[in-house]
Amino acid sequence: MTKQEQLQGILRELKQALPELRSIVVASTDGLPIVHDAADAPRVAAMAATALGLGKRISQTTDLGSLEETIVRGNQGYFVVYAAGDKGVLAVSAPSDANLGLIHLEARSYAARLAQVL
Amino acid sequence: MEPLKVVVAGPVGAGKSTIIRTLSETEVVDTDALASEEIGKETTTVAMDYGTLHLGDQLLYLFGTPGQDRFDFMWDVLSEGALGLLMLVRGDRPEDFGPARRLLDYITSRHPVPYVLGVTRQDQPPVWGPDEVAPFFGVPLERVVGLNAKDPRSAVGPLVRLLELIMAEEQAT
Repeated sequence: MTKQEQLQGILRELKQALPELRSIVVASTDGLPIVHDAADAPRVAAMAATALGLGKRISQTTDLGSLEETIVRGNQGYFVVYAAGDKGVLAVSAPSDANLGLIHLEARSYAARLAQVL
Repeated sequence: MEPLKVVVAGPVGAGKSTIIRTLSETEVVDTDALASEEIGKETTTVAMDYGTLHLGDQLLYLFGTPGQDRFDFMWDVLSEGALGLLMLVRGDRPEDFGPARRLLDYITSRHPVPYVLGVTRQDQPPVWGPDEVAPFFGVPLERVVGLNAKDPRSAVGPLVRLLELIMAEEQAT
């Protein structure tokens, strides 16, 4: 199985685990889409990398320890960005009635799996 | 005197992060990530660089942008409230002049502020000098300054020129 197929497989599993997710984008930490199910993936990938990069720096600068995730919360939903190792970024978007705790739980473990493949 | 916000923009590898690291008097905030494409260096800025610098009594806040087009949303975010623009381009890479010129047009059309074009790598000939680059960009020679972004004395040059232009513009209005 190629790397791309493995990553696609993980993406599909994550969608099954969290069907409420509106979109999932896996990108490189420098903002290029790798696998995704989003219409606007190139743009989302770049923004996710920016959010994660800035989040890491804010976390460091304000003594929060190492970054767990960056969360953007609008009145109609969430956009959450997780580090997938030091090369990858996992960004998910969910409606505001989604269970954020469950999303964190699943997404963090999938991010760790993605990191191994990346 | 009010602090002055200056945006440092330019294509990938122009020296934006370098000049801020060279000049900042305070600890630099950078956001480097591993580069996954071939850009001639290991890491690249994904959100911003930030540093501060005094020119005489004037405090400058330096905000560096990411270089790649995919981060164009950050150009607008960081240009908000800026009073000057330092556009950098590598003097030894003429293929960057076209993209840099489009980037200069993009930012100055949306945020009409005084700008200086800094031509980097002047210490590494063969390199295009400011007098050769100015006509290509169609900007007056007084707005084009050659520099070596790693040398503090050289790197400060374009910011001194920018401050002069900003002050001249303030006096004119």
